[in-house]
Amino acid sequence: MWLEILLTSVLGFAIYWFISWDKEETLPLEDGWWGPGTRSAAREDDSIRPFKVETSDEEIHDLHQRIDKFRFTPPLEDSCFHYGFNSNYLKKVISYWRNGFDWKKQVEILNRYPHFKTKIEGLDIHFIHVKPPQLPAGRTPKPLLMVHGWPGSFYEFYKIIPLLTDPKNHGLSDEHVFEVICPSIPGYGFSEASSKKGFNSVATARIFYKLMLRLGFQEFYIQGGDWGSLICTNMAQLVPSHVKGLHLNMALVLSNLSTLTLLLGRRFGRFLGLTERDVELLYPVKEKVLYSLMRESGYMHIQCTKPDTVGSALNDSPVGLAAYILEKFSTWTNTEFRYLEDGGLERKFSLDDLLTNVMLYWTTGTIISSQRFYKENLGQGWRTQKHERMKVYVPTGFSAFPFELLHTPEKWVRFKYPKLISYSYMVRGGHFAALEEPELLAHDIRKFLSVLERQ
Amino acid sequence: MWLEILLTSVLGFAIYWFIYRDKEETLPLEDGWWGPGTRSAAREDDSIRPFKVETSDEEIHDLHQRIDKFRFTPPLEDSCFHYGFNSNYLKKVISYWRNGFDWKKQVEILNRYPHFKTKIEGLDIHFIHVKPPQLPAGRTPKPLLMVHGWPGSFYEFYKIIPLLTDPKNHGLSDEHVFEVICPSIPGYGFSEPSSKREFNSVATARIFYKLMLRLGFQEFYIQGGDWGSLICTNMAQLVPSHVKGLHLNMALVLSNLSTLTLLLGRRFGRFLGLTERDVELLYPVKEKVLYSLMRESGYMHIQCTKPDTVGSALNDSPVGLAAYILEKFSTWTSREFRYLEDGGLERKFSLDDLLTNVMLYWTTGTIVSSQRFYKENLGQGWRTQKHERMKVYVPTGFFAFPSELLHAPEKWVRFKYPKLISYSYMVRGGHFAAFKEPELLAHDIRKFLSVLERQ
Repeated sequence: MWLEILLTSVLGFAIYWFISWDKEETLPLEDGWWGPGTRSAAREDDSIRPFKVETSDEEIHDLHQRIDKFRFTPPLEDSCFHYGFNSNYLKKVISYWRNGFDWKKQVEILNRYPHFKTKIEGLDIHFIHVKPPQLPAGRTPKPLLMVHGWPGSFYEFYKIIPLLTDPKNHGLSDEHVFEVICPSIPGYGFSEASSKKGFNSVATARIFYKLMLRLGFQEFYIQGGDWGSLICTNMAQLVPSHVKGLHLNMALVLSNLSTLTLLLGRRFGRFLGLTERDVELLYPVKEKVLYSLMRESGYMHIQCTKPDTVGSALNDSPVGLAAYILEKFSTWTNTEFRYLEDGGLERKFSLDDLLTNVMLYWTTGTIISSQRFYKENLGQGWRTQKHERMKVYVPTGFSAFPFELLHTPEKWVRFKYPKLISYSYMVRGGHFAALEEPELLAHDIRKFLSVLERQ
Repeated sequence: MWLEILLTSVLGFAIYWFIYRDKEETLPLEDGWWGPGTRSAAREDDSIRPFKVETSDEEIHDLHQRIDKFRFTPPLEDSCFHYGFNSNYLKKVISYWRNGFDWKKQVEILNRYPHFKTKIEGLDIHFIHVKPPQLPAGRTPKPLLMVHGWPGSFYEFYKIIPLLTDPKNHGLSDEHVFEVICPSIPGYGFSEPSSKREFNSVATARIFYKLMLRLGFQEFYIQGGDWGSLICTNMAQLVPSHVKGLHLNMALVLSNLSTLTLLLGRRFGRFLGLTERDVELLYPVKEKVLYSLMRESGYMHIQCTKPDTVGSALNDSPVGLAAYILEKFSTWTSREFRYLEDGGLERKFSLDDLLTNVMLYWTTGTIVSSQRFYKENLGQGWRTQKHERMKVYVPTGFFAFPSELLHAPEKWVRFKYPKLISYSYMVRGGHFAAFKEPELLAHDIRKFLSVLERQ
């Protein structure tokens, strides 16, 4: 009887698998308009305007006042980061923010790369565009679009950009020289937020595709993690003929197949395509997958359902916002950091970089719009949207960072991305790969390009 | 083959049920100490000290300043309460809070009942104790402990107390006259929060039991909803000989049995003990149970895992705190209120009452400690704790409100509470029963007492 059950289940899965994977290769392009009120009949202004990040004494003074009035709640004894951001350590971070952090200096650093804005589908889209300072004669740089996620920003790419645009000056060969475009997702930082409901990753992908066209690129490479990974995936599904290569450092490919594999994987791992390293990173399943996901997805759950509620306090309390965002930079860099009193935050990141990222959410007041993205993308439930059931048919490269929230084995990535040509187990690093391990990530992007060009 | 599967499942459930049902009738009492640092050798001060709620100009001024500096984010067009608390309506609430709400007057209202504090297990426990103003000769009032939940407080009982302590003056017979004790859960409002980890509902139940003993009551009645329901249930499991009667307006009785019933219930409802009203309130299961729970449990998920993170912003932004708390008073009163631009908030509650409740969290700075209660109770997962698998053997009365988050049919309630002697379907009302429908709740408590005394 057990055999009958097993065979029936397998047959059931096989049938389900054939039925629910879309035969189409492209996602329909469609169109959208997301500005406030009704769209005017006039033609949209498509100029590309230079933009500079600015600040003012009022802005800094207001921040300082709010920091001074923050009301701390003592942590439970011996709780480290198990209950969230430890407020004893938060005091230290805040003290630096108040007294040491120099926002004007950070703004100058932000302005070192050229910023621009341009209107697409009713929204003012912000991006930085960094060209190589030097290039061998006759060569053109490879256009690379890099997309951030939550709670990150375009700023996460500031350390990796020189390795991609100026490799020679950073100990790398000039075999691959890129010009890098890092936009801000609408509703994040300097990109205008949508006024309409339904603004999701597919709309973002389409807007970024239009951005690349407007910049003069018919073909280009794309890279992303977190939401960036989904947006780039959608771009590859919408306009595969324009995407020369897709590189990801995160992929959410849970499916019936992967769940089944997980349950049987320890014993039949080899048979099901899991490597020893995969097994190491995924087992025991209860701890590494189930409990880990449950423990770390509270923010996702509340943002998928009530973004405006949780967001209103975050947009009013800079310290609260910092705790909320920086908790991720601790736990998603290494889940064991929860056992540390300081969450291991400064082991991999500088407070200047972390707080600059927080300031991008604070000074623009975009925490709520950034959280609404969760509801728009996941609020209808899992695997309800077309693109979730479609595969991706462009050459793909994948970096598997060991401390990523959920390890994705090559087998599973290949299932969704059949043209996977490069898969690497990274030696260290977590979720915020570009900021934490720019050299490793740059190295893998270049490796992916090499494999791609050899084909 | 399907029949074989069904029979195996049923057999499996039956075996599971027999194995996992604890045979014991009482939960072990044990002890605890939750104060800061190490416990001193000196005997704990067990005096009962009168307490008065106070405020100051500084407190009100600080609140006003923070309200004035709140940074609003416009809601998405046509989003009503689907993304959480609508900020257009929040502006109206805040405007009243800033200009109309009189906290000093509300403090006087709070002080109309006598407040006390007393130290138990290292924590200063706050409670109000209201005795009947008049009593027929020779009669003693029935002691009734009423326990609030989250995000409520002892203040929720202010309208129902007179109906219980002074029925004659409110159009009810004096058959049942109570003296009412409403404590604050440690970490909520004026009750000191625990400094130690693992302060859960069982510890709270034990402390409230000690409180009743200290007040001179060997036997008493208990009533609760939300956390109050769980705490009272635990009291009945710890010291059943002291609990004369248990009345609940909420019960979380999900078990394997109930899940199975739900799946088969529409067709076999009658056979499985579901009434027509039960079916009305539970079906379609996808919408009324599954989606509803997923949509409304984001706060629970984040509080069960990272209470200190989400709480820090809430303790710094009174407007953010109000949005977070009042969203529950909207959606938990009626699910349909999400479709209203104002969330239907003032249909059932006055802004004065709602804001007084918020002020109890704000002025005491207890939002973080109140949220930790979720992690301590549910953070280990579902049905991992002894008391969850134990039944309750005291006379029980249950009041089923139609808009309660998850309807609990009589069949399921009786499974956990075999001595259920009174079950009523209320005609209207939601989660905050005492607050919203004091007459209906008082009527049902009295009805339960009548049934109990006739036995």
